[in-house]
Amino acid sequence: MTNRTRTLTAAVLGAGAIPGIADAHLVNTGFGPFYDGISHLFVTAPDILVVVALGLLAGLRGPTTGRTTLAVVIVAWTVGGLTGLALAPPVVWAAATTVTFLALGAALAVDREVPTGVVAALGLGVGLLHGFLNGAEAATSGIGLVGLAGSLSALAVMATLITALAVTWAQGWTRIVVRVAGSWITAIGILMLGWLFRPGA
Amino acid sequence: MISRGLSTTCRAAAACVVVVAALALPASALGHELDPGFLQVTESEPGVYAITFKVPTAGGRRMPLQPMFPVGCSETSPMTSRPSGTGFLERWQISCDGSLLGETIRIGGLERTYTDVMIRVELAEEEPLSYIVQSVDPSVIVGGEGQGSQGALAYAWLGFEHILLGIDHLLFVLGLLLIVQNRWMLVKTVTSFTVAHSITLAIATLGFASAPAAPLNAAIALSILFLGPEIVRVWRGETSLTIQHPWVVAFAFGLLHGFGFASGLTTIGLPSGEIPLALLLFNVGVELGQLVFVVVILALERAFRVLEIYWPRWAEMFPGYAVGSLGAFWTIQRTWMLLGG
Repeated sequence: MTNRTRTLTAAVLGAGAIPGIADAHLVNTGFGPFYDGISHLFVTAPDILVVVALGLLAGLRGPTTGRTTLAVVIVAWTVGGLTGLALAPPVVWAAATTVTFLALGAALAVDREVPTGVVAALGLGVGLLHGFLNGAEAATSGIGLVGLAGSLSALAVMATLITALAVTWAQGWTRIVVRVAGSWITAIGILMLGWLFRPGA
Repeated sequence: MISRGLSTTCRAAAACVVVVAALALPASALGHELDPGFLQVTESEPGVYAITFKVPTAGGRRMPLQPMFPVGCSETSPMTSRPSGTGFLERWQISCDGSLLGETIRIGGLERTYTDVMIRVELAEEEPLSYIVQSVDPSVIVGGEGQGSQGALAYAWLGFEHILLGIDHLLFVLGLLLIVQNRWMLVKTVTSFTVAHSITLAIATLGFASAPAAPLNAAIALSILFLGPEIVRVWRGETSLTIQHPWVVAFAFGLLHGFGFASGLTTIGLPSGEIPLALLLFNVGVELGQLVFVVVILALERAFRVLEIYWPRWAEMFPGYAVGSLGAFWTIQRTWMLLGG
């Protein structure tokens, strides 16, 4: 790793560690906290993008990596969510959640062969971090355990569908489509980081 | 689902989603008690408005909803209130300093509920205006753009909401999905359920027939309970009329469920001129909600096969027990309520 790369990596990781003020992305659907929790995943860009990026990344590596990562991320998200719900810290760590999907998008675009354990470990980290923040938001917004259950249900369904889609698209030209999706996710992450650290923000 | 071999892959997850939803939804959603309210505001002469407010009940009590009109409006006749169907019908008259056009009408207390209120405003020399307000934004600006779900869309939204909150309807559909053996049978079953509930939805909305809420809800619960043992028969490789011809059962019980869907429309007391359009769009909303549910379950089934996820035996059996147990619970609960418990 060159000095320049190290500096860039440190800057990105350092930026990710900066906690922001709580800014819950909760939509009152009018259907109750369970559906509010479901909608939360779809209206929180870092959450839905990290699920898409991780699902595609795991799915491209085949069914074994796909289902292993799926199981790990769902369990980690649940553990993180319950912890966040219990502790309810008033932070969102927006930069950190942006960095996670940016990094996963980049890994997807690069498409290097990585072992199942590495992808599953990424799923573990992503699940714990995003789950923790989801749980914290559920606590501070008042939707509580029921809302978190909705959020987890949406996560499980979306992650399963996306991972399976990537498995079926792992061969031929569709693999390129998935990699392009990774580059778009990275681009969105860079834009979001730029927005978060714009002058005067 | 679809075939015995395929169904084992998604039964557990599908049932988990539904059971979590069933447990997570407010208790009032389980008994079709989330009927919408309806506020009719009719300008009888300049500045004078006749108000009709149909207030739904929750747990047998009038929901604490109250229309709030702009400053400058005051009651000019005392309110009359009487029970009407599953709610209360209230009428009174107000007088306002000017037209309500451009003014805000708010439903006080709505933000603490999960129900909707349809607001219909008929101003002199203006086209009638319809809105749906929800807890998230319980007010509308009369004649304003982008106010909640408006006009025709409001009815479709009502239907969509009714099926998504009607967890018992979804559980019945899931039970059917677990019984059907192939894709053609799936198409026939879902279609016959759709046709059947559309028939009774139309009959009830047009006023040709009605079903009292308490026995209807008990019968709907019984229809879910009925599917539990049939799912067990499928596991055991046995056969029955339901397994051979699930579309027959879907049609028969679909007639019951249609009366249940109708409560979402009939309780708001539609103006006669709007009934055909409202009926059509409400049904479109119901079908869209049902379609989303079926597509998600089928997509999950396909995903589990692609990912080569195989469930343990207890997980395979869980959905059947979930359908049967919840059906039994609701049957007992609703029968108890029917008997005055």
